[in-house]
Amino acid sequence: MAKKTIRTIPQKRAEMPVQDPVARAGNFEEVALGFSLEGALVESERCLVCPKPNCVPACPVNIDIPGFIVEISKKNYRGAYDILTESTLLPAICGRVCPQEDQCEGVCPVGETLEPVAIGRLERWIGDMAIANSWRNTPPIAPNGFKIGIVGSGPAGMACAADMAKAGCDVTVYEALHQAGGVLRYGIPEFRLPNEVLDAELENLKALGVKIECNVLVGRLFTIEQMLDELGFDAVFIGTGAGYPSFMGIQGESLNGVLSANELLTRCNLMGATQFPRYDTPLGLGKRVAVIGSGNTAMDALRVSLRADAEEVYCLYRRTRAESPARVEEVEHAEEEGVRFEWLTAPVEILADDNSNVRALRCQRMELGEPDDSGRRRPVPIEGSEYEFEVDTVVYAIGTNANPIIGQTSKIALNKWGYIEADDKLATSMAGVYAGGDIVTGAATVILAMGTGRQAARSMKSYLGIRDSSAVYQKPQENGEASIFGIDPTERAHVRVRVA
Amino acid sequence: MYDTKYLFQRNEIWWVKVAVPRSLRDELGYDLRRSLHTRNLAEAREKRDRVVEELRQMIKESAAAESSGRACRESMVPDDENGFEILAREDFSDVTFLLEVDAPLMSKAAKPGQFVIVILHERGERIPLTIADFDADKGTISLVIQAVGKSTIEMQQRCRAGTHLHALVGPMGYPSELGAKKIVCVGGGLGVAPIFPQLRAFKESGAYVVGVVGFRSKELIFWEDKFEKYCDELIVCTDDGSVGLEGRVTLGLEMALKEHADVDRVIAIGPPIMMKACADTTLPYGVETIVSMNPIVVDGTGMCGGCRVSVGDEIKFACVDGPEFDAHKVNFDELMSRLGRYKDDESRALDDWKEMVS
Ligand SMILES: Cc1cc2nc3c(=O)[nH]c(=O)nc-3n(C[C@H](O)[C@H](O)[C@H](O)COP(=O)(O)OP(=O)(O)OC[C@H]3O[C@@H](n4cnc5c(N)ncnc54)[C@H](O)[C@@H]3O)c2cc1C
Ligand code: SF4
Ligand code: FES
Repeated sequence: MAKKTIRTIPQKRAEMPVQDPVARAGNFEEVALGFSLEGALVESERCLVCPKPNCVPACPVNIDIPGFIVEISKKNYRGAYDILTESTLLPAICGRVCPQEDQCEGVCPVGETLEPVAIGRLERWIGDMAIANSWRNTPPIAPNGFKIGIVGSGPAGMACAADMAKAGCDVTVYEALHQAGGVLRYGIPEFRLPNEVLDAELENLKALGVKIECNVLVGRLFTIEQMLDELGFDAVFIGTGAGYPSFMGIQGESLNGVLSANELLTRCNLMGATQFPRYDTPLGLGKRVAVIGSGNTAMDALRVSLRADAEEVYCLYRRTRAESPARVEEVEHAEEEGVRFEWLTAPVEILADDNSNVRALRCQRMELGEPDDSGRRRPVPIEGSEYEFEVDTVVYAIGTNANPIIGQTSKIALNKWGYIEADDKLATSMAGVYAGGDIVTGAATVILAMGTGRQAARSMKSYLGIRDSSAVYQKPQENGEASIFGIDPTERAHVRVRVA
Repeated sequence: MYDTKYLFQRNEIWWVKVAVPRSLRDELGYDLRRSLHTRNLAEAREKRDRVVEELRQMIKESAAAESSGRACRESMVPDDENGFEILAREDFSDVTFLLEVDAPLMSKAAKPGQFVIVILHERGERIPLTIADFDADKGTISLVIQAVGKSTIEMQQRCRAGTHLHALVGPMGYPSELGAKKIVCVGGGLGVAPIFPQLRAFKESGAYVVGVVGFRSKELIFWEDKFEKYCDELIVCTDDGSVGLEGRVTLGLEMALKEHADVDRVIAIGPPIMMKACADTTLPYGVETIVSMNPIVVDGTGMCGGCRVSVGDEIKFACVDGPEFDAHKVNFDELMSRLGRYKDDESRALDDWKEMVS
């Protein structure tokens, strides 16, 4: 194969079909439809297969990106899947929801002159193909007698559970809600991440022998201490997320018609409120909806509101589009669907009608001043710019705090913001208890949560004295015995087994 | 750009996919798919329209069947056999009933003041219910429910010994703090049952317990024996005076406060208007007063903020910061207005449902 250069590769990104904006604003079906086969093959040709790739270290879980892309171009799709699953548990999910422009794609040298290689879309394409074909990389598992408890079934918990199960542990995941998946279930809407994709990934987890028990509120039904002392768990991982939504503390936040994005999304995604009264949970969204904030959560709330039949949907953000923390693609999608953006605008008061319902927002225009600690230019109010903005629903999407339940019910040390304190090995202040995901890092991303789940699994294994097979992982030999998922069959001989 | 409308590829073969409207998804799934048996895109495009038309026709037919068959199917969301089993039911009146549910772990963990969230069936909502009793030996918890809205009326109709709740999670919230020496426990309406485990716990902790319970009339009284067993004094109030004091529970509360100058805590559970009246009653006496908030709840884990209540200058999430708060600081008017948020939706749901089951 002749060496590829920036000139010889396909210059344009392969098209990925998307649902028409007008049609999709009225349904909950997936917006981005994924590559066609031709598209994927063309796109895979665009990778330069750099000898020292920038993208791999930029991926929080260090996927061998050129490796899997080369397999696609060789039409060895299953091989591409095997490479992906060495590093990520959830390719079909990460390919959809990762902020690739800040990670792998952001550092791809092709992006210096052309559009970068569509790494996320290729990853998704393989992930989807795996689901469609029921591919599953379940390594041979030799039980070692250790019992692991996982609290929270979000991406952090799922990743830790998978790694511990592959190492031979008996793993149980406890989830407070009645369905598993964490934010992937209740937060991210179906048009970005269909439930069937999440269900398929959860099935993979179960195929590893992981038990998932929903409707269990750890801390209240039993405590972390009880898990270790009475329920026989040898180690526990906490991945309870950063649920607790923030409000601004302005006048009028208790009015009817003011809600958090989490409430809106949970009602729709988890409880089926868009199908009320067929489903019992009502939504109660008005006709003119203002969402405050401009992150991913805000974009989801905006786009769900549109689909739930709000007539006009506005995004209010005190900075500009350039500072918006949401993914570029999400902002574009929202805009195409009819969301209207009011940049440099902040609410100062929520105004009521006679029945304590929201009638309007009093807003203030902002301008950008000096950069603050985070390097972003600080928004400063413009004197005398206040005006009334008529809306009947106000949705807060300005961030979340730590979920407080574990802190309330155990002795595990928290930091001053209420997040669980964990060292760089993700060990908490309690022996045998590890934590990861948003409850440690603060609200972050799916892939980071997954990365911390895997790191915690490594630490747990060394705590329990289980040989960490992923550390000595070697690429499968040609026609040799497969050692997928980082477990080398020969390594299993060294696994320590618990003596009861 | 490829024209791939309705088309997708699976193992290189082109397929057609047509979306199913939301109302038919339970029956038909998200979409209908059919293979075009070709790897060639041009050929697939040619075959496409006819297949799309056929699939659309299928959707139309099921929509027609669905609207006629809707009524009978709707009322039959199946019982979830993997759910939480109801072991016993007892009816206290035509609206109030008790369910005893098999929940071994929870029966050991539950403490007075805590609540659970129940989902009746797959399409149900999350309903918060204060735990009315728990029995660690039997491994059960009891819930007392007033059939007032769609979900609770449906529970009244469906729940029998042997049927199941789709979900049951808890115990949620902080337990009540014990430690009072002389306490008045007030329960009215849907608060009568939940006050019971409180007063039992206080009695067992050595406190002097005055119970004040309110009912509409004599026929609706329940658990008199249980209350008597754990109260040093029991004041029953009825709206019509058919037994005990005639009038609201505040009358009984006032009486207890006058008689016992050394009451060091009052706990009141019931409808917001009653708890507010109790707070007003105790204020002049300067007695610490605790109420159990019952706002609208979704997840019950602190994740949505739908349950927020104003306590003093602070906003609290009742499900994780409560549910019990200082009655003299709670903003009851706000609570009542927030509870009315879904009034129209609720009555619509109830009407729809009644029409369907009738
Ligand atoms: C609306 C929205 C959109 C987002 N979009 C993106 C995106 O596009 N891309 C991206 O990378 N990231 C996105 N994020 C962020 C990402 O979802 C989170 O960073 C990630 O899910 C965190 O994972 P986690 O496992 O730490 O926690 P979570 O996913 O929050 O899961 C925690 C789970 O623990 C459960 N739990 C909590 N307490 C208990 C308890 N006491 N006992 C038992 N269970 C408990 C919770 O119910 C929950 O299911 C988004 C977040 C939101 C809210
Ligand atoms: S997991 Fe995320 S960062 Fe890593 S390769 Fe995939 S899309 Fe890029
Ligand atoms: S019910 Fe959602 S936070 Fe309390």
